[in-house]
Amino acid sequence: MMNSQGSVLSVKDLKVVFSGFKALKGVNLEVGKNEIVTIIGPNGAGKSTLLDAIVGKSPVASGHVYYQGQDITNKSSHEIARMGIGRKFQNPNVYNELSVFDNILLALKGTHGVFSSIRAKLTAAKKDKIISVLDRIGLLEQGYAKVSSLSHGQKQWVEIGMVLAQDPAVVLLDEPTAGMTADETYATGEIIKTIATSHSVVVIEHDMEFVKQIAQRLVVLHQGEKLTEGSVAEVQSNPKVIEVYLGREQINAA
Amino acid sequence: MAQALGQIQQSNFVPKKWQIINLAVLLVLIIFPFVAGTFQTNLMAKLLLFGILGVSLDLVWGFTGILSFAHGVFFTLGGYAMAYYLKLNLSATANNYGGNIPDFMVWNGLKELPWFIAPLQFFPIAVIAMVVIPAGFAYAIGSFIFRSKVSGVYITVITLAIASALTTFFVSQQAYTGGTNGITDVSKLMLFGMVVPPIGIYFIILAFAALTLAGSWWLTKSNFGLILRSIKENEQRISYLGYDVASFKIFIWTLSAGIAGICGGLFVPLNNFISPVYLGVAFGTQVVIWVAVGGRGTLFGPIIAAILLGQLQNSVDRITQDWQLIVGIILMLVVLFLPDGLMSLLPKKLLTSSSNKKLLASSSDQLEKA
Ligand SMILES: Nc1ncnc2c1ncn2[C@@H]1O[C@H](COP(=O)(O)OP(=O)(O)OP(=O)(O)O)[C@@H](O)[C@H]1O
Ligand SMILES: [Mg+2]
Repeated sequence: MMNSQGSVLSVKDLKVVFSGFKALKGVNLEVGKNEIVTIIGPNGAGKSTLLDAIVGKSPVASGHVYYQGQDITNKSSHEIARMGIGRKFQNPNVYNELSVFDNILLALKGTHGVFSSIRAKLTAAKKDKIISVLDRIGLLEQGYAKVSSLSHGQKQWVEIGMVLAQDPAVVLLDEPTAGMTADETYATGEIIKTIATSHSVVVIEHDMEFVKQIAQRLVVLHQGEKLTEGSVAEVQSNPKVIEVYLGREQINAA
Repeated sequence: MAQALGQIQQSNFVPKKWQIINLAVLLVLIIFPFVAGTFQTNLMAKLLLFGILGVSLDLVWGFTGILSFAHGVFFTLGGYAMAYYLKLNLSATANNYGGNIPDFMVWNGLKELPWFIAPLQFFPIAVIAMVVIPAGFAYAIGSFIFRSKVSGVYITVITLAIASALTTFFVSQQAYTGGTNGITDVSKLMLFGMVVPPIGIYFIILAFAALTLAGSWWLTKSNFGLILRSIKENEQRISYLGYDVASFKIFIWTLSAGIAGICGGLFVPLNNFISPVYLGVAFGTQVVIWVAVGGRGTLFGPIIAAILLGQLQNSVDRITQDWQLIVGIILMLVVLFLPDGLMSLLPKKLLTSSSNKKLLASSSDQLEKA
């Protein structure tokens, strides 16, 4: 088996090319059990593309993605999701025309076949689960509301709620706190830490405060390549990182 | 809060007021043939069938977002299955062209009944074929297009191509299909040794319409219906939740074609013939118009539109020949001023709310636990 010892998710020399443009130029990534891996990097570094490739959305030119030792590189999105990889997208990718409740209901862990969904009943257990998710994401009162009526931050919560309901072994979160207030961002960080007690989590983030709150291991992507990885302190003191990313952030902040 | 969650549960139920209205309409439709003449009874039966054909399209277009111009094709395939049966069972006296095979086959030089048509002389086989042939054909196309990378408007273009191609094919195979004329002068439908009178056909159609509508309502309100609506809004997202979108599309597409096929089959004893006209894009467009005018994703809308437009055409036909022009104007007005169709004129409350104490109580229990 190709995967490294103890890795739940393992990305090997992954290359993604969009009509000639090399978005990923051979990226490696290991995610262990119950680990939080945080990915940072400038705009266009290929962070989202990496998650896209893992869930079967980006065209993989070469390289492999292994999930629990199994090659999932060419599997279709629904197969990958069924195996236990869940994804939150950068822009809240939720069903605006449906209620918050229905969004969570759709995401609930289950078989999801045609005939099972025709027979499926909204059992008390399912309702309980949905209500506990709604409670966790603070949208119990908006449960019946159409998602289109919610704020950007609340939509982020809906999608986080979908991931919670899906309960995948590997949780991929693409900028989960974009559009959230400082308090909401902090709360999201705490939720992520709780998730990581029983799940492997990959988070893409720009907000360094938030990164410090949750980070265990940091990976820096730049122009489709991994620049470095390590602890927050190691990465922050890395001159290359300061040059391409953190330095600029500080200038922007000033 | 409890009320909020109570409302969510409502979606699985038929609201009381709407139930009452439906029962009232059903009652009117049951009394209708006893007060209206044979002409109106036949017309109404035909319009109910067209309405259900619209419902079948609504399942794939209104709910799932697949616009199809091929529903006339599924309808007509079911129609031919029934037409062969009725044609092959003409009584000896009515069969005045001499020979034991249909007139159009004799005229085209066939000596024997083709093996693939022969089984249709048996009623149970014809009834099964009326569903299975259109559904099987749809399944074959669906498995191909929904598993390919083709999507959106290209699927619609393919359905247009299918409608044109099948029209050409049926017209060209005169010896087997009766060509442009189709299968005409079919026998009356007999059941239990008796000719079924117009009122009998009317009630068969009414029963089929009521059952299909109730079944479609139930299906679209189920978890499966929720998945269809999510596919319509964004088919990619749901695949990342573990749903195989293609299999859901193939299922509803096949089911829809089966319903359309039954409509076609029941149409023949009413209409006394079937022809390639119903395969064509023009008829396929009619079906699209019933759904658009009635309201996409409403199920009841297409039936209302088919009946209103049909009755209107019936009265206008006596005054002017320009029916198509009138339909065009109506369609334009609806698209411009009523984009959600006639059903959007009904008060929203009628279809969604109405408090249900039991549900409210049960969901507040849930809240306590949460
Ligand atoms: N579907 C696509 N087709 C063509 N180019 C793409 C596609 N998706 C991404 N790219 C390109 O690949 C590069 C990496 O994009 P990606 O979205 O992965 O960046 P990112 O690191 O997530 O940036 P951001 O911080 O802005 O979200 C960009 O230059 C982008 O324009
Ligand atoms: Mg991104």
